[in-house]
Amino acid sequence: MNRYSRELAVAAVLALVLIGLAIWAPAFYQLQPLLSLATREAPVMIVTCGMVLVILTRQIDISVGSQFSICSVTCGLLAAAGWPSWSLLPAGAVAGALLGALNGVLIAGLGLPSIVVTLAMLVALRQGLNLFRQGEFVTLPDGVQWFGLSQVQGQVIVLIATAVLVVVMAYCLRGVAFGRHFYAVGSDAEAARLAGIRPQRVTFLAFVLMGLLTGVAAMVNVVQSPQVQPLSGSGMELKVIAAVVVGGVAISGGRGYIWGAVVGLMLLACISPALVHLRIEAYWEKAIQGAIILLAVLAEGIRRRRRRVQGGTAT
Amino acid sequence: MTTTSSGPSAEATWKRVLFRHETLLLIVLVVEWLLFYHYGTTTNRRGMTVGFGTLDRQFDILRHSCEIGLLALVLTPVILTAGIDLSVASLLGLCAIVFGQFTHDLGLPIPLAVVLTLLVGGIGGGLNAGLVAGLRLPPLIVTLGTYSLFRGLAEALTRGAVTYTHFPAGFLALGQERWLGLPMQAWIFFAVAIGMWLLVHRTMLGRSFRVIGYAPEGARFAGLPVGRNLALAYIIAGVVAAAAALIYTARLGQAKADAAVGYELFAITAVVLGGTSIFGGKGSITGTLLGVAVIAVLKNGLATLPVVIRMNAAEELSGMLTGLLLLLALALGVAPKLLSVLRNKR
Repeated sequence: MNRYSRELAVAAVLALVLIGLAIWAPAFYQLQPLLSLATREAPVMIVTCGMVLVILTRQIDISVGSQFSICSVTCGLLAAAGWPSWSLLPAGAVAGALLGALNGVLIAGLGLPSIVVTLAMLVALRQGLNLFRQGEFVTLPDGVQWFGLSQVQGQVIVLIATAVLVVVMAYCLRGVAFGRHFYAVGSDAEAARLAGIRPQRVTFLAFVLMGLLTGVAAMVNVVQSPQVQPLSGSGMELKVIAAVVVGGVAISGGRGYIWGAVVGLMLLACISPALVHLRIEAYWEKAIQGAIILLAVLAEGIRRRRRRVQGGTAT
Repeated sequence: MTTTSSGPSAEATWKRVLFRHETLLLIVLVVEWLLFYHYGTTTNRRGMTVGFGTLDRQFDILRHSCEIGLLALVLTPVILTAGIDLSVASLLGLCAIVFGQFTHDLGLPIPLAVVLTLLVGGIGGGLNAGLVAGLRLPPLIVTLGTYSLFRGLAEALTRGAVTYTHFPAGFLALGQERWLGLPMQAWIFFAVAIGMWLLVHRTMLGRSFRVIGYAPEGARFAGLPVGRNLALAYIIAGVVAAAAALIYTARLGQAKADAAVGYELFAITAVVLGGTSIFGGKGSITGTLLGVAVIAVLKNGLATLPVVIRMNAAEELSGMLTGLLLLLALALGVAPKLLSVLRNKR
């Protein structure tokens, strides 16, 4: 079997969904709604790339939603305070990287379990933000939304920037030695250490990059509306982790590709518009999303079991 | 090099008891309670004592912590097996809706509806059990999927809008009345707590949870029915989540699709704060109960402090402090190891 069989299977399902939409709901393929859908999902896409890094190193980060909110509000407050719009992107990225570094110190430095640390962070950061802002919206000054351009121009810029980021990440992860360190640490930290890689440093960097990308994603989200919603990131962690898992990145670390996660997210992102166009009530979205996660993990399990039965190497 | 003395001296035993996780938690709980008693109790204009120091408030704390407490109790065995169940609160929401449909749309009598709801909880837990124990899929992702699935089903069944109210008074008593001086649901909570304690600490099945978490292969070689026992942990969690749904519905007098959103976080926090290792194999029901108490007192106590009331920030502060407490508990857990590493370096 092909080494990409898992990813190709997901891509095939996505293709089926898209073909189904073309037959039964051609209205899905109107340019403007499609563009809006893609732009809306662009921040999630960027966060998904970060999550691939974290899960590849056999960790998890469920605090991304709270990080996302904090970075969004930070960007909004800085913009409202009169910072020029070009400086918001690095500011958001730095804010995110700092939050990620905090996670990284606790997880890589002290060796604490990532799921509990980021669970604590999820609650502490979210409530800290609420305490500080009391759920207030931040109104952005003129010229920040869509970089002061028209909506379509802004959307195109956002999409191109996201695409470039994703391609660069995908290339670096496979084609650059440092990118492969994430795979090495996730497959076997001890073997990686013997090979001269410092697992702690790689894990730490995975979380810092996760935070940094979350900050960038927050900025990409901020430019899309005239106000910053403090709750904008809540629940994001689930969607992102779902995309990563559906896209074939193994939760046990060391296996998966960025492009798999991209396909996974596209599949998940198509559900809600597909439901609308197929006249199924939108309330089913969450249930279907859950079912897709279960199917993905089920497929992974069956594949692994079959390989074990055939006497191949167990993963 | 180090020369660490071994052998249990009297001093070492004394230290071991003092530094037991449960002892530390108990001290935290007492200190916390005394602080709130001191700062959160005031006298109103008519000369009546109000705030934290009243008996009514203590019962309120008990009443409000029963659902999270029940979830934390049944999450303990799951986490002892090195598993996790993120879906309990979603299942709670689904069961609340299903119960509402049984009584309202189908017009079933309450006792039958209760039994059927518990059955639905068992089936929900059984789905987790089948995937985790039967097919050996990673519990984190499986329950992430069912977290979404159960909540989504609750939303789909109600179209995100229907709220079931007007339950008979006899049922509402379960969540709002007292029996023998204590809130009704507290009796259920205590019964489940004692049951779980006996199960985890006094039965073969319960003790096997720890073995499975500590060394799954070893458990298998020792002849334990690993798959069956693992499945039971998740099924128990499902059934008790359904019971918590009934209590939740009775306490609020309504069943909505967003019942108990986010409760899983507090329940997991309580378990980990209570000293149960997220890697499995280590922990106790007593610890979990103390963890639940620390969180509940913190949450309700903060709401009685004049400063917090003025700022209207009780929920935010308690959430933040709970998160920090959890991190602190984790850091304390690794402190001895870190210290020994540092000492070795020197």
